Amino acid sequence: MRLLPSSFAPGSAGRLRLSSALLGGLVLLLGRTPAAGRAAAAFRELAPLLEEHCVECHEGSKAKGGLELARLAQDLEDRGLRERWVRVHDRIQKGEMPPPKKGELSNGERARMVGILGGALQEADRREVERLGRGPLRRLNREEYENNLRQLLHLPNLEIRGMLPEDREGHHFNKASETLDLSREQLTAYLDAAEVALRAARVTDPQPRKPDAYRAVGTDLFPRLGTFGNRQAMFFAKGDHAADLEAKPSKEEELRRAADEELELALFRSASWPYFGYPKRFVAKVGGEYRVRFWARSVRQVDGFRLVPAEAPQPMTFRARKPSGPCIAGDPRATGGILDIAPEGALYETTVLLREGETFEYSLLGLPIPLAFNVQGGPPIYRFPPFPEGGQPGVAFRSLEVEGPLVPAEWPPASHRVLFDSLPVGAVPADAKSEAIRLLRRFASLAVREPFPEADLAIFERLILGRLEKGESFESALLAGYQAVLCSGPFLTLREPEKEGDHFAVASRLSHFLTNRGPDDALSVRAGEGLLRERRVLRAESERLIAGEGFERFIHNFTDYWLNLRHLRRDDPDVRLFPEYRFDDYLVESLERETRAFVAAMIRENLPATVLVDADFAYANDRLARHYGLEPLTGSNLRKVSLPEGSPYGGLLTQGAILKVTANGTTTSPVVRGAWVMERLLGEPPPPPPPSVPAVEPDIRGAKTIRDLLALHTRDESCASCHARFDPVGLALESFDVLGGWRENYRSLGEGAQVKGIDRAGHEYAYTVAARVEPNGKLLDGTAFSNIRDLKKVLASRPRQLGRNLLHQFTIYATGTPVRFSDRPEIEAILDACEPAGYRVRDLLLGLIESRIFLGNAGCH
Amino acid sequence: MRNTTPIPSVSRMDRRHFLRGAGVLLALPWLESLQPVFARKAEPENPRRMLLISNNLGVLPKRFFPTGEGRDYELSPYLRELEAFREDFTVFSGLSHPGVTGGHSTENCFLTAAKGPARSGFRNQISLDQFAADQMGQVTRFSTLNLGVNLDRANRSLSWTRDGALLPAENSALAVFRRMFVQGTPQEVARQLHRLEERGSVLDALLEQTRSVTRSLGADDRSRMEQYLTSMREVEERLHAAREWEARPRPQAPEKEPRDLQEKRFFLEKFELMLAMARLAFESDSTRIVTLMVDGLDTGVFQLHENQNTTEAYHGLSHHGQAEAKVRQLEETDLQQMRLLRGLLGSLAETPEQGRRLLDHTMVLYGSNLGDANTHDNSNLPILLAGGGFRHGSHLVFPREANAPLSNLFVSMLQRFGVEAERFGSSTGRLRGLDPLPGA
Repeated sequence: MRLLPSSFAPGSAGRLRLSSALLGGLVLLLGRTPAAGRAAAAFRELAPLLEEHCVECHEGSKAKGGLELARLAQDLEDRGLRERWVRVHDRIQKGEMPPPKKGELSNGERARMVGILGGALQEADRREVERLGRGPLRRLNREEYENNLRQLLHLPNLEIRGMLPEDREGHHFNKASETLDLSREQLTAYLDAAEVALRAARVTDPQPRKPDAYRAVGTDLFPRLGTFGNRQAMFFAKGDHAADLEAKPSKEEELRRAADEELELALFRSASWPYFGYPKRFVAKVGGEYRVRFWARSVRQVDGFRLVPAEAPQPMTFRARKPSGPCIAGDPRATGGILDIAPEGALYETTVLLREGETFEYSLLGLPIPLAFNVQGGPPIYRFPPFPEGGQPGVAFRSLEVEGPLVPAEWPPASHRVLFDSLPVGAVPADAKSEAIRLLRRFASLAVREPFPEADLAIFERLILGRLEKGESFESALLAGYQAVLCSGPFLTLREPEKEGDHFAVASRLSHFLTNRGPDDALSVRAGEGLLRERRVLRAESERLIAGEGFERFIHNFTDYWLNLRHLRRDDPDVRLFPEYRFDDYLVESLERETRAFVAAMIRENLPATVLVDADFAYANDRLARHYGLEPLTGSNLRKVSLPEGSPYGGLLTQGAILKVTANGTTTSPVVRGAWVMERLLGEPPPPPPPSVPAVEPDIRGAKTIRDLLALHTRDESCASCHARFDPVGLALESFDVLGGWRENYRSLGEGAQVKGIDRAGHEYAYTVAARVEPNGKLLDGTAFSNIRDLKKVLASRPRQLGRNLLHQFTIYATGTPVRFSDRPEIEAILDACEPAGYRVRDLLLGLIESRIFLGNAGCH
Repeated sequence: MRNTTPIPSVSRMDRRHFLRGAGVLLALPWLESLQPVFARKAEPENPRRMLLISNNLGVLPKRFFPTGEGRDYELSPYLRELEAFREDFTVFSGLSHPGVTGGHSTENCFLTAAKGPARSGFRNQISLDQFAADQMGQVTRFSTLNLGVNLDRANRSLSWTRDGALLPAENSALAVFRRMFVQGTPQEVARQLHRLEERGSVLDALLEQTRSVTRSLGADDRSRMEQYLTSMREVEERLHAAREWEARPRPQAPEKEPRDLQEKRFFLEKFELMLAMARLAFESDSTRIVTLMVDGLDTGVFQLHENQNTTEAYHGLSHHGQAEAKVRQLEETDLQQMRLLRGLLGSLAETPEQGRRLLDHTMVLYGSNLGDANTHDNSNLPILLAGGGFRHGSHLVFPREANAPLSNLFVSMLQRFGVEAERFGSSTGRLRGLDPLPGA
């Protein structure tokens, strides 16, 4: 660090000049308002302290971090300036400023500075909240919009989010008011989406379409007699042996086989490309839900293409796709849920969701993918990997029935009646005008989450009547009015709860928080009764929503953003280094479910906040048990298991999903992982980049290991001071590879001791065992740890910090506005209340819901 | 579950075939036949166009910036790739946006010059393309086209509205192509016209209703609703133009559709395809303004040559720390991008328009919000302007320590575009030393 010239030493003339500058700013503010007067008085008290301890480094054109204290205006009414003073306050409060080695600031002085500045900031921020509310209203994001339309129109499978531009992130979430703005492109897209949704809701046929029925047995169960990967991958069996089927059968023979109830389709591979494994000749003529019933048993294939009973159930699902052969048009989507096929043959039933023109294929989870070799430009040859001991697991199918699209219980369906009430399909009422007005009012009251002002309704009425006068059809005029309702402010935006009597905004906020859509009927009734500010009622409603099915939507969206799970599949593991993960979709999917289940349990089971970093249990299934080195489990469903003594797993911090989203598939970086964990789990984001860029160019030439690299990178002090905040945590996480597998050594493709084998896709591999992982480090506060287990204990000893972070994440997610300075006492009060029970997660969440941060100034009673 | 289908390697033949075919076929009689539907101002004799490109990871500065000054400068390693067009471009050093600092966060400000993007409560402002389009009125089917390469469309864009809302860009060349060239049947056109008419009345109702709500709101909420109102007015305004354009047939597609490359690792191929789309947009006069954001941050490991991938993601490479292996790959990436640019300039130069070259009527700006990605430096941005009827062939040098505002260049460009703007962003005037070519 460059030292300031001695002429700027304390007490010199330079300081005096600054002193008057610091005071000069105040004079301007004096006499404006009593509040500004108080702020000015605070700064007057603060000036000598800043003068003595801070300005030495923070003055002139070379001011550290670009912060010139004397030029930083003291107008706390101004948001931007207040923000900067908050940073000054925080760094002094945390003891980061003045830098410890200057060591001049006594604890008493520090407390005084923090007290004075904090008091002034608190008052200014509080006043703004009282005047304007905590944050601005915001647009529904595209997922919320889709969910609201699904709910309103009774169309649980409506898909319109793809029509809407992806939402910008703010504070990592898709819920921040600041970034949920509304451009003309968005408005156009919302208009389009509303139009599509309304058309999907109405029916034109007076009778429901009769469902198609389809049944396949024998060779109709599969498109061909074989698949990629030769007979090891699939064959038709009879009496537990591969059936000897003529490749070019006679017409009669072909018909006989396609009706042979005793022929079994035995399948042993995953559904990854190249593969097409759908039943013959089935295509959905109309999009919708289809019921699928099939007979199956899990089997093992032993040498000679023979079947023996399996020892464990085999998980499978279906994938909806176009019947386009090995080339895949569009994205195949898993549908129908995961079914564990037991060794005893049984009938299974599920419902798959298909779009028009789609079929669906068998997708066995966690099985090998034979891959092609082109030998000297010839046709591909497929190699199936060696069977595991005891044989290759798979599933044998005997029959499959499909029926659909399933018809709703009533006709016209509920979605149609939302639009037209009991009007017969296609009918035009005798008095079109008054009926249109009645239906509009009915629709608007169902759609918006609070009563619509009369004057606004009149505007939409005029729209419909105008369309009718122009000669539009009854339906088209009415839908134009509905479209306007669905794009109007009351439907499209969420606002802050206002005064005492405002219960509708509370209901909306609560339901969008916990179910990612509008209030359900019960909650709306409570809002209508004006009971949502009763603590008892509010708590009961919150707990009801948490226990309900809709809470899954919260878990999904919250973890998608908070933990980045939506990017879980972004980088495929480098198969040269990690052959064991080649095309292991089942592992990735299990990791995803694990983390979502864990977060759900944190809230529903009210676990202590420390489970963010450490726990003595995990959620695991067959695949995860292997991944985490646990006792073997069978079946795909997750269950809670205790971890063996000394296991490095347990807690969000070391879950595979977290370790995957913080790696790039090939390498791990302590910097990236460390910064991510500090920010998302511990609530200590890396400081924003200083406005003045230091002219330091990191030079990492000659670095051999990641540690060397960091050492070189952080040789410069301005780099080091920041990296010390997050690198250490990342170093401990180096013990985990790109998918969270435990490792003692890195792997490379360079020279050295090789590990060779054949991977799960039949490919030969060879990687090199490289340097040992060195997982030890020292946190910013000096606490040393030797490995991840150690680090977990250190972090778990900070439950209040972990709880505070959760409250911060919940706050931005639920309210769209991050924790403000004036919210801080409220946050600490919630933490105080949750302390005796050990900062449990549902307690924290409910505490937030019952606070003024969530409910607005009126709070609850 | 996701499909992990490895797409068989892109057939370069296919793509080449498409690109070449497109260039040859377009002798463009339609360019001259299309007249504006309505314009806020009289059309200048020669239509002016601009293509605004930014790569948010920039280039290696030492290999980009030339030595020497003025017309006698010596080409840098990168600029040597453009040697054939030396008289058709100007390279600048010492330009940046004052107050636009904060590492990568400045990427959304490249065309807006809005200060302090890293600060909380930051609000962006109107971008150069939108400003120009607003001034010009809608004289073409699309007032602008926003294109992206591997772009994180939700969070990044070069194009921003007056009140700071992001205008998303299109990553799919195929989608752009279809918007420009695929003509509906007469029934579809009629249905679309009816839809637009209906939308007009829905918007009228929404405007009226929103105005009535807005009156009762607090300041913050009101500004949000103002944005909503603005959007409605803008959509409505564009409806008029959309109706007129819908009634006119789209230009004939020059050739078959481009292949839809989705995989991000075909980064350079996608960039090339998008440049081709920009050129087609100009040649068919579908628009006069195109932005193209090349998103290196969202580009993982990518294919540098056939059968050769980079060893790590583009972002990782950009923080090279002088490590030789990384610098080498970055250099190759930069060079390939310069070659793509050369290809674009070449085809614009080969296309005649009103007795001159299309290039003479098309300003091509290539630059970045980062002066040096390795250090997140936002000063001394690499900036190059080609074509568009300027007196080119020079290296214009501004002080390294006290950069000239990049917005000054934008003002010069706006004026050349035919917009009588005196100011834009943080400009202090036109850019000294860059003069329009008389008669061009």
